[in-house]
Amino acid sequence: MEIFLSIRFDGSAVSEFFFNGVILRGVRTTLEVTILAMLLGAVLGIILAVMRVSHSRPMAGFSGFYVWFMRGTPVLIQLLVVHNGIPQMVGSRDFTLFLTPFRSALITFSLNEAAYMAEIVRAGIQAIEPGQMDAAKSLGMTNLQAMRRVILPQALRVVIPPAGNEFIAMLKNTSIAFAAGLVELTNAARLIYAANLKVMELLVVASIWYLIMTTAFSVLQAEMEARLTIVERERAIPLTTRVLRALGGGRER
Amino acid sequence: MKRWLRHSLLLVCVVLVAAFVASACGGGEEKPAAASPTPRAAGSPTASLAAGVPELADGTLQVGSDIAYAPIEFYEAGTENAMGLDIDLANAMAADLGVKVEFMNTGFDGLIGALQAKRFDIIMSSMTITEARQKEIDFIPYFTAGTGILVEAGNPKNIQTLADLCGKSVAVQLGTIQVDQLNAQNEQCAQKISITTFDQNPLAVEQLSLGRADAVTADFPVASNDARLSQGKLEVVGTQFEAAPYGIGVRNDSTELNAALKNALQDIMNSGKYDSILADWGLEAGSIK
Repeated sequence: MEIFLSIRFDGSAVSEFFFNGVILRGVRTTLEVTILAMLLGAVLGIILAVMRVSHSRPMAGFSGFYVWFMRGTPVLIQLLVVHNGIPQMVGSRDFTLFLTPFRSALITFSLNEAAYMAEIVRAGIQAIEPGQMDAAKSLGMTNLQAMRRVILPQALRVVIPPAGNEFIAMLKNTSIAFAAGLVELTNAARLIYAANLKVMELLVVASIWYLIMTTAFSVLQAEMEARLTIVERERAIPLTTRVLRALGGGRER
Repeated sequence: MKRWLRHSLLLVCVVLVAAFVASACGGGEEKPAAASPTPRAAGSPTASLAAGVPELADGTLQVGSDIAYAPIEFYEAGTENAMGLDIDLANAMAADLGVKVEFMNTGFDGLIGALQAKRFDIIMSSMTITEARQKEIDFIPYFTAGTGILVEAGNPKNIQTLADLCGKSVAVQLGTIQVDQLNAQNEQCAQKISITTFDQNPLAVEQLSLGRADAVTADFPVASNDARLSQGKLEVVGTQFEAAPYGIGVRNDSTELNAALKNALQDIMNSGKYDSILADWGLEAGSIK
């Protein structure tokens, strides 16, 4: 078979480029964009979620509109709007230069992530029994106080697993920021194979780095879930079990 | 089924059907970028050129190209009609071989890999012949062009040569020889060139128009065309440098196809068709005759 005769794969290129400077900078950029956008997105998302469940019609309406719009349009279009569209409309050089590829990507991913986080947090809030709000208010708390001290801490438990999903999805999706010229991991690999044409080798390098990062964050997520568990007997799970579980190999009790 | 659910499902169906009908009605323009030259009658002197070429057994020459590099290859605005020097030359050669042409749009950095993976028969995509590329595939030279530097009109940063780009920011297309040139120049720069790469040349030019980049480097005919399209906002400095041949990319093992294309290219050069196509695009300077 022709396919067996013609396979070309240079294993030494994988080890050669694994710690290449461009690749390592790509890993760092990927992490920076993902972590910062997730933090900003989570803050905005919580605000949007609280607005969404509030009794104020304009607030709930705005939040609903925001989620509808940001979830309903592709993040690539949002990035191009932020990076190219709005600067062209505004036409101010200072503004354009302020929007570096990194900043445009960070703004876009934060705003986009906020919409998804808003839905996740809203689900978390609504999973808490309504009687708790009444109970908190009967103790003299205002709506916001009850939200901050009673509802949100409990909602966090429900929110962590889907938020972890979002985080890992975004870690991988940052590659579209190349449309704004940002070189993160995927495109660091593309830059190299565009020059040396070792396509498969560089894709393997990038994939291994992605797996390392996603594994690390899966473990972190499992750790947070374990710490937030209410039931005492489930709390003291040894780290090895947690690692296995994070990798999908552990058995639920 | 709940009523609201039934209603929203119905709405989704209506939208989908409308989209489908709309696309079918507009379908007149959606043909692939194929030209159908009249196949020569059997017995004509060149009809045998395509015979014995396995890639042409299906009667079609499939060409991989990054169709965003006007005036060499580009889509006529708002359509899916590929146009440009490479398209006309491919059609002329295919007519000589008695086959049809199908252009397949592929990202520039993925062209050589896709050719090796047999996604298409040849590459015609303003691809300059370089040593690194020759290690992977064979080339038939057919045109020549150098690099041009595109800057803001009036050249406020006074950029004349590659060396003047040191300390400046340059937007450039991924995988092009211009990236290699900039990297090589960077070795000699005290202040580094800040190089930002993009999937396609128009995206790089957009960064220059927005003022984010000080210059774009691209093949000279393309840079000139970008300057013309900018309606006075951009200009190309000086003349081209490092002129080098474009090659038709062919797989190493496509021996028969390689020979057939060389013959076809020679035929259209002899017949004057090559000259007239170059003249159509104002690219006579790149002739390799």
